[in-house]
Amino acid sequence: MTANATPDMTARKGSLLVQDKRTTKRNATEARFKACGLGAIAIGVVALVILVTSILGNGLSAFKQTYIRLSIELPEPKLDKSGVRDLEVMKKVTTIGYAALLKKAMVDAVENNGITVDGLKLKDVDDLISKEAPATLRNLVLGNPALVGTTITLDVLASGRIDGYFKDRVNLQSAARDSKITPQQLILADALKAKGLLEIRLNPDFITAPDASDQRPEAAGLGVAILGSAYMMIVVLVLALPIGVAASVYLEEFAPKNRWTDVIEVNISNLAAVPSIVFGILGLAIFINFAGLRASAPIVGGLVLTLMTLPTIIISTRAALKAVPPSIRDAALGVGASRMQSVAHHVLPLAAPGILTGTIIGLAQALGETAPLLLIGMVAFVREYPAAWSAKDGLFGEPSTALPVQVYNWTQRADPAFFERASGAIIVLLVFLLAMNAVAIILRRRFERRW
Amino acid sequence: MNDMRIVESAVNNTETKISARDVQVYYGANHAIKDVSVDIPDKTVTAFIGPSGCGKSTFLRCLNRMNDTIAICRVSGDITLDGENIYDPRVDPVQLRAKVGMVFQKPNPFPKSIYDNVAYGPKIHGLSRNKAGLDEIVESALRKAALWNEVKDRLQAPGTGLSGGQQQRLCIARAIATSPEVLLMDEPCSALDPIATAQVEELIDELRCQFSVVIVTHSMQQAARVSQRTAFFHLGDLVEYGETGDIFTRPKDPRTESYITGRIG
Repeated sequence: MTANATPDMTARKGSLLVQDKRTTKRNATEARFKACGLGAIAIGVVALVILVTSILGNGLSAFKQTYIRLSIELPEPKLDKSGVRDLEVMKKVTTIGYAALLKKAMVDAVENNGITVDGLKLKDVDDLISKEAPATLRNLVLGNPALVGTTITLDVLASGRIDGYFKDRVNLQSAARDSKITPQQLILADALKAKGLLEIRLNPDFITAPDASDQRPEAAGLGVAILGSAYMMIVVLVLALPIGVAASVYLEEFAPKNRWTDVIEVNISNLAAVPSIVFGILGLAIFINFAGLRASAPIVGGLVLTLMTLPTIIISTRAALKAVPPSIRDAALGVGASRMQSVAHHVLPLAAPGILTGTIIGLAQALGETAPLLLIGMVAFVREYPAAWSAKDGLFGEPSTALPVQVYNWTQRADPAFFERASGAIIVLLVFLLAMNAVAIILRRRFERRW
Repeated sequence: MNDMRIVESAVNNTETKISARDVQVYYGANHAIKDVSVDIPDKTVTAFIGPSGCGKSTFLRCLNRMNDTIAICRVSGDITLDGENIYDPRVDPVQLRAKVGMVFQKPNPFPKSIYDNVAYGPKIHGLSRNKAGLDEIVESALRKAALWNEVKDRLQAPGTGLSGGQQQRLCIARAIATSPEVLLMDEPCSALDPIATAQVEELIDELRCQFSVVIVTHSMQQAARVSQRTAFFHLGDLVEYGETGDIFTRPKDPRTESYITGRIG
């Protein structure tokens, strides 16, 4: 026995200044572990940086747009045959009539400024203007009939190709192969810019305007998508928060612990893991086919997302309730509070930060969800703002679309200008998510109490 | 501090406040309390002593039905308060707990202000119709708990910011603010230092003029100092119950003698 013990003793008797073998090995393991951890974090950070730079690089330009400044004559004989500004008569002039005015204004601008481009035909100059511009002009005139007979100065959208030229998406070589633009038109655009008639500036319409068709990416905006997402979030918040909190308070504070509550608990955990597209099929079957709600309506999207968010809220609320020390419940019961009073006066306020954080994370998840919305028709092309209240479809009942679906939608389209738009939409979506997470953190800080 | 001194009176009360007969408590299959019968007199400090896990806290929690919150706990036998069976199905435990207050082992003030801590019980029981009445109740409870002078200038400060001893006295103030008839204390000094313990013990002695106090304690010295009657529990049995002096000087049961001389426990 002593023979066995002796080598150990000598090994331990070494100098403190020299590390023995075991210590060296242990330290090496620790260093390796730290390096692995650092490596993992580095990979994460690099991925995040690449993601953010790529999205910002592609998408920031969507917030700027190219405009052409034109002096447009609005002759009365063409726009108002009645001569008394009768709107019904004026509405008979379609966008084709206004397009002719724009074309004339464009030709005038080129000629008056003495711009000459070799090989450019004057009849092609209006290709620089967006196909959306005549509609904009028509709406402006119908909204303010007094403009008829005057000459107005208006900034009209340049076409997507011209916009792309100034954003390095289009160049002279690609224009030569392009049916929608010619190199001469690009040279003209350069000349207009030199004269100050063409400028690139911030484009608030990207946030406020509704979607636009395949032919006019320059006019497409996120307005309907943002509104639709906001409506859905309201529906989710109003339904999922009270239902989720009530369910978790009952399960955590009142329900007897038996086989039934076990089954319910397991099922809630499983629901949280159900693929979201399954909720889409469920929503399609129940809310649209059975209940007869309108497809593409925010109310249907909100209901589906509520189903999807409920497990998240229930699980985080139960965790928050579990984290409240039982001594607080004892204290309340000990002074003669009923169980309901103990929960309402003491447990819930203490659990509030956790509940709010869980809810906002659930909402953020719902905001970014695409798959279930595709199945209930939110992928539709929506040109009109949904009304907050409509007699036929009720609250939140009119078709709209949602931010992530709009991204998906735009990436499907042929014109490369939509790719920039999609990246811009992703930036907007990320800003909303960051804002929601910031709110979660602020709420947590504010309500957090120590005990 | 003169206003806090309550004239000590010799306690010769023989009126029974709580009476327990053949009480059995089961935790699932575990028989935690066996055949306990005890009469707790009014306006007296009764101490429950015994080794860890002997069931004294469990029995205490039967007296205001705090065991109801534990799903697997089952109580049988009769416990009466002023002759009324507290396990009668007509009894609402909430009303019972307003009469039988409780102070716990660890100080557990609500994470609210000192004022709100004390005012909570009177508020939910509707003991005061107006703010002035509530203020009065809070002040008197804090005075009785010997805490008023220390906190009167910071009633809106959080109760959790007090020291451990102050927190425990705050919990006592909170318990007596609802004017209970019995005060149950589950090892109220186990988390406190000797000075805070002395303060709480002094307080218990003063409180017995108004309530019947039942205290569970690990410390035999404490039982000897504060109580008039002592019950010794061992492995779920009530071994011996009588005058504190008798228990400590002339124990009848050999197990009691072993425990107080330190041979079991």
